[in-house]
Amino acid sequence: MSTGLRSSVLDRLRERLHVLDGGARPGKVLPFGDGRLDGCFPGGGLPLGTLHEICPEGLDGETGAAGAAFALPLVARLAAEGPVFWILQRDDLHGPGAAAFGLGPDRLILVRVEKDAEALAALEDALNCDAVAAAVAEIGRLGLTAGRRLKLACERSGATAFVLHRWPYGRPRRLAGQREPSAAASRWRVRTAPSAADGPGLGEPRWQVALEHSRGGREGAWIMEAGDATRPLRVVAELAAGAAEAATARTRAAG
Amino acid sequence: MLLKRRRPGLARPDEPLATVEAVDGVRRLAAVDPAAASRGLRSGQKLADARAVLPALKIADADPRGDLAGLVRLAEWADRFTPAVALDPPDGLLLDIAGCQHLWGGERALVDDLLAGLARRGIPARVATAATFGAAWAVARHAEELHPLLPPGGERDRLVPLPVAALRPAAETLDAAHRLGLDTIGQLLAMPRGALARRLGGELIGRLDRALGTAEEPILFRRPATPWFDRLAFAEPIADADDLARAAADIAARLCTRLADADRGGQRFTLAFHRVDGGAARAIVTTALPSRDARRLAKLFRGKIETVDPGFGVEAVTLTADGVEPLAPAQPGLRHVVSGGADRAGLAPVIDTLANRLGTERLWRAAPQESHLPERAVRRIAPLAPDAGPWPPGRARPIRLFARPEAIEATAPVPDDPPVVFRWRGILHRVRSADGPERIGREWWREPALPSPEAEKGKEAETMRDYYRVEDEAGARYWIFREGLFAADASPPRWFLHGLFG
Repeated sequence: MSTGLRSSVLDRLRERLHVLDGGARPGKVLPFGDGRLDGCFPGGGLPLGTLHEICPEGLDGETGAAGAAFALPLVARLAAEGPVFWILQRDDLHGPGAAAFGLGPDRLILVRVEKDAEALAALEDALNCDAVAAAVAEIGRLGLTAGRRLKLACERSGATAFVLHRWPYGRPRRLAGQREPSAAASRWRVRTAPSAADGPGLGEPRWQVALEHSRGGREGAWIMEAGDATRPLRVVAELAAGAAEAATARTRAAG
Repeated sequence: MLLKRRRPGLARPDEPLATVEAVDGVRRLAAVDPAAASRGLRSGQKLADARAVLPALKIADADPRGDLAGLVRLAEWADRFTPAVALDPPDGLLLDIAGCQHLWGGERALVDDLLAGLARRGIPARVATAATFGAAWAVARHAEELHPLLPPGGERDRLVPLPVAALRPAAETLDAAHRLGLDTIGQLLAMPRGALARRLGGELIGRLDRALGTAEEPILFRRPATPWFDRLAFAEPIADADDLARAAADIAARLCTRLADADRGGQRFTLAFHRVDGGAARAIVTTALPSRDARRLAKLFRGKIETVDPGFGVEAVTLTADGVEPLAPAQPGLRHVVSGGADRAGLAPVIDTLANRLGTERLWRAAPQESHLPERAVRRIAPLAPDAGPWPPGRARPIRLFARPEAIEATAPVPDDPPVVFRWRGILHRVRSADGPERIGREWWREPALPSPEAEKGKEAETMRDYYRVEDEAGARYWIFREGLFAADASPPRWFLHGLFG
């Protein structure tokens, strides 16, 4: 048996297992180009046409900066397929800053809403449109039912949704910081990490990223940097799951 | 008659009644009712003369402002017949019904419906249709026998027996005509134009030409006339939200069929629910691209119908399309190609849904704008506007930019150095490393011209910003700037936080 045939048989078996596991029909994925990340997903990359949650921690939950920096390189890759909607409750996403992650002004449509309910409705409308490649919504809290609706809308149209949890400045952290049941295919916890300052000036920005839920896959935690032409994000170091837990626990205690 | 009905104590139905206004200190009749008119009274007559003829005349004060308000209400009611309704104060309305007759099955039926509607509202009216507003006006107000419908090309024949006053000439012109023994329009038409112009001036010639249709009549309509108008009338008034939504869907289907037949699409659709009380509630839907998709329009209208107040019932709905442009027939399997973004036309449905629910100003794309100030370097363009080009190359820009920079308390040990520590929103941040400065000057062309070079220099220092990218101990990155420069004699410079990097 040739290697190619064996791997295709294995792939089919994996798919069947995945479906039996309750996962959605295996579809397209966005590979990270790094086995340490891709191995956490049943399809060998971030599944597309479904819902993902990004939960920033600490002050990032208010500024929405690290969460956006994590989401941007991913949606920028998807923007090749069609325009991206970004639904905001605080109108501060800066076009030139987003373009630095590869998302040009002609691919990004901004929608400003007043509250979570409006954001969810706008996100669902955007996801129902076949021409939309991806949509990001900044939302305080995502309930299980709302998450399921979004996931169904994604599966219908093939668009990929990112819910970026964010709450107003100065507000105490809300439920977004806790583990809730979620309809999302993946759930990421993101916070800034000190850069490797080995010279004058700023080093490359870094994030501490924990994949705390991956449907049909496994969890993981890493220190990441901005990616390059070949991959959206670059893993600098892999963290032990326990280390990530500990970091999260520290944040909870602090928050 | 309306006055009698509204104020029954004023006069019995068969008693003559007139309204009176003071003109140059003389009280004159402003309007007379049919009973008074039949006894020879007319508007403009002195009250004293009228009383001499008819001592039993009842009078009421004229209310020109109330009359005008009433006329506006009537115009609002009349736009269920056509969007193009113009006021002709004090007591007339002009309706452009070109292109609307087919909705009634002919001019006759439209006029009958109009007269019946006016009669239901207790408004005595004289209605005439003609190819020109001048002829219709003359016939409606001056014809002895009123046949509302004027056959096409029949203007001249109908105008011949009418008095010169039917042409709405100025008072002096009318007097001059009477002095010359010219009483009817027929007599005017029999005269050579040159002689007529010499004796009575060009004004009357112009009036004559407009009435005969050889010259255009400029009329200011409340809404422009459009062939893209449709109407549905109901035997019984409807008020239920489901019925209103169904009516919206039906009328959208009718208008869209006509648009499709003409290979056209509209960008702004005004749906009017005409209530039995004469008022109208409107719902407006705009589309980012010309559209004639009836199902989509119906869906967009459905979201607005809950805000429509049907009052005691809606007896007719009308739909008007504006911004009508050529729209190629849909080709199955092919997407519309729009300049700049081939795949963007597919977005039109979701853009329209969101824009009609949230408001057009809540959806945009960011585009570059010539400016040194970061907060002014971005402008908003419509989501489906053509591409506006990439961002200008330059230094790193934050992901989040505040519309207004936020003041921070910062401690910088050395002038021209970034701060070592700053406090923002009550939280202290220790700066671990920093990049900068990037000096950004205020746009001199926005500043008023300053007289002295010293003042210019001071101003420049004050309006200069030195931007730094700083990273705190948690790795969070901020875009902060110092306004102005350190100077021994000046107040210390102020620091601001303007944005956040991821």
